[in-house]
Amino acid sequence: MTTDTRAAKSNGSFHNWLKDIFLDWDRTQMMISIFLLGLLALAPLFIDSTYYLGIIILTTIYAFIGISWNIVAGFSGQLLIAHIIFLAIGAYTTIVLFNNFLISPWVGILIAGLVAALCGVVVAFITLRYGLKVDYFALFTIALMVALRTLFLKWKYVGGAVGMWFRLTDPSFDKMIFADKPPYLYIGIGLVLIGLLIQYRIYRSKMGKYFLAIREDDDAASALGVNTSLYKALAVIIGAAMAGVGGGFYVMYVTFIEPPQVFNLGLNVEIVMAGPIIGGLGSLAGPVVGALLNKPFAEIMRGLLAGGRSGSSLIVYGSFLILTIMFMPRGVTGVLHTIYRRIINRFYPEETGDS
Amino acid sequence: MALLEVNGIIKRFGGLVAVDDLSLSLDKGQILGLIGPNGAGKTTAFNMISGFYKPDEGEVYFEGKKLNGLRPDQICKLGLSRTFQVVKPFPQLSVRDNVMVGAYNRTNKRMQARHKALEIIEFLGMQDLSEATAGSLSVAYRKRLEVAKALATDPKIILLDEAMAGLRPTETDEMIELVRQISQRGIALLLVEHVMRVIMSLADRIVVIHHGEKIAEGEPKQIVKNKAVIDAYLGEVEIDVKG
Repeated sequence: MTTDTRAAKSNGSFHNWLKDIFLDWDRTQMMISIFLLGLLALAPLFIDSTYYLGIIILTTIYAFIGISWNIVAGFSGQLLIAHIIFLAIGAYTTIVLFNNFLISPWVGILIAGLVAALCGVVVAFITLRYGLKVDYFALFTIALMVALRTLFLKWKYVGGAVGMWFRLTDPSFDKMIFADKPPYLYIGIGLVLIGLLIQYRIYRSKMGKYFLAIREDDDAASALGVNTSLYKALAVIIGAAMAGVGGGFYVMYVTFIEPPQVFNLGLNVEIVMAGPIIGGLGSLAGPVVGALLNKPFAEIMRGLLAGGRSGSSLIVYGSFLILTIMFMPRGVTGVLHTIYRRIINRFYPEETGDS
Repeated sequence: MALLEVNGIIKRFGGLVAVDDLSLSLDKGQILGLIGPNGAGKTTAFNMISGFYKPDEGEVYFEGKKLNGLRPDQICKLGLSRTFQVVKPFPQLSVRDNVMVGAYNRTNKRMQARHKALEIIEFLGMQDLSEATAGSLSVAYRKRLEVAKALATDPKIILLDEAMAGLRPTETDEMIELVRQISQRGIALLLVEHVMRVIMSLADRIVVIHHGEKIAEGEPKQIVKNKAVIDAYLGEVEIDVKG
C-alpha cells in the first residue's frame, strides 16, 4: 500500500511537472524546439547519405542564426536586415585565427563572437548617434554590407577576391575537424540548445520585456523608465555576438569563405530571415520550427529545379516566402498558438495558458 | 519646497510659440488641473516636463533637482510618470506584461515585477483582463491600462494627459473615483483635461492656459468666475450648448 501511495504521489508530481510546462506557452514552445532538435539528433541512425546529413547540419546553423536575428528583429523590433554581416565577420575571424595563428576553432568561435559583438557596438553607436529609425536603419545595414564586401574583396590579408580555404589537417577534435558528418551535427545541435536557452532567459527577463516594449512603442517604453538607446544597443550586440559564433561554426563546416558568398543579400534572406519569419518572428519556437521548414525546402527546390533555367528555384522559394507571410503573418508558431489556446481552454478552462 | 516646480518654460516651433513663459508648482499629494482650449499648449507643456521635449527657456525642478536635459526614462526613475493623450499600449503584449514593463522600473526581479503588476491590475479592477492582449481592449480599458502602467513605475507624481477623453459618463465617474484613490495613496497628480466636470470635482487648484500663456490660476470656484477664462475657454462651452 505504501508503494501504491508513493507511486500515486510520484505520478502526481510528474503530472504537476507536465502541467507546469504545458500550461505555459513559453515553456511549451521550448519543448517543441527541443523535441524537433531531438528528431534531428536521431537522423544519423536512419540516414547514411552525407548529402542529406549536410542539409540537416546546415539546418542547425540556420536555426542558431535565426535565434540570433529573432532576438534583434523579433524581440526588440529593430529592422537589422543585413544581419549576415556579423556571421561573415565571425566566419572570417575564426578562419584567420586558425590558418594564421593556429588557434583552435573551439576558442576561435568564441573570439569570433567577441569580434562580432564589437562590430555590433559600432553599428549600434552609429545608429543611435544619428537617430536612424526603422527603415533608415535597415538601409544603413544593407549599405554597410555592400561596403564590407568591397573592403573584403580588396583585403589581401583575408584572401581578397580569392577567399580563404580552411587549412585542412588530419581530423581531430581539437581542431573541430571530423572525418564524417555526425560530430558536426551534434555540435550544431548543442549550439542551438545553448541559443534556445539564451533566448528563453532573455525573453523571461526584464531585458526581454524591455525589448518587447521598445518594439511595440518606444516612446511609451521610454516614459516607463526604459533607457531605449541602451536596450536597443544591447539587442544588436547580443544578436551580433551570437551570429558571430554561428558564423564561426558555419565556416568550420563549409571550410571555405569568399566575400560574394557571405556578404550576400540572397544568402541573408535564406540563412537569417526566412527561418524566423516562416516559424513566427518574435516567438520562442519560431527560429527552430522555421529552420526545419526553410532549409530543406530551399534545398529540395534547388535539387528539383537545378536542371531548368537558372534562378527558377529562387522564384519558387521567393513565392513560398511571400505566401507564408500573406497567409500566416505570425508564422507557423502563430498557428500552433491558436490551436494550443483552444486545447487549453477545452481541457483546463481554469488555467490561463501563460505564466 | 514644492514637489514639482516649473519656472517660465518656453517652447517654440518655428514661428509659433506653443508654450510661453509657463510657471506652475505642485505639492505632495495635491491635484493640479491644467486646462485650456484646443491647441493651448497643454500637451507641449507635458512633453517638456516629462523630458520628451527640451524647453527652449526656463527650468523644471523635481524635488529640487533640475530635470532639463534628462531623458524621459531618467525622469521616470526619479519618480515622475506620465500617460499619453493618444494612449500607447504595447498592443501585442498582455495587460499584465504591459504593466510589468512599468513595474520593472523599481526592480530587476521577475517575480517582484509580476506581483506588483498583478496588484495594480487588481487595484484598477482589470484582473479578468490580465491575460488579454492590450490591443484587444476597449477604449475605456486602454485609458485605464495607461494609468496602470504609470502607477506601476511607483511614481511620486503622475501626469495624466486627458485620461477621461472619449469615455462615457459612467466610465468617467469610475475614472474620477480611481484618480481620487490614487491621490489618497499620496501621489500628486497633474491633470490635463477637457471635461470640465472632471477638473472641477478633482482639482485642488487649476492653471488655465491660452495660446501657450497662463491666463489664470486658482481654486476651481474662482476659476469658473474668472472673466478671462470664461472668454477664452468656458465661453466655447456655452456656444456648444446652444448650438
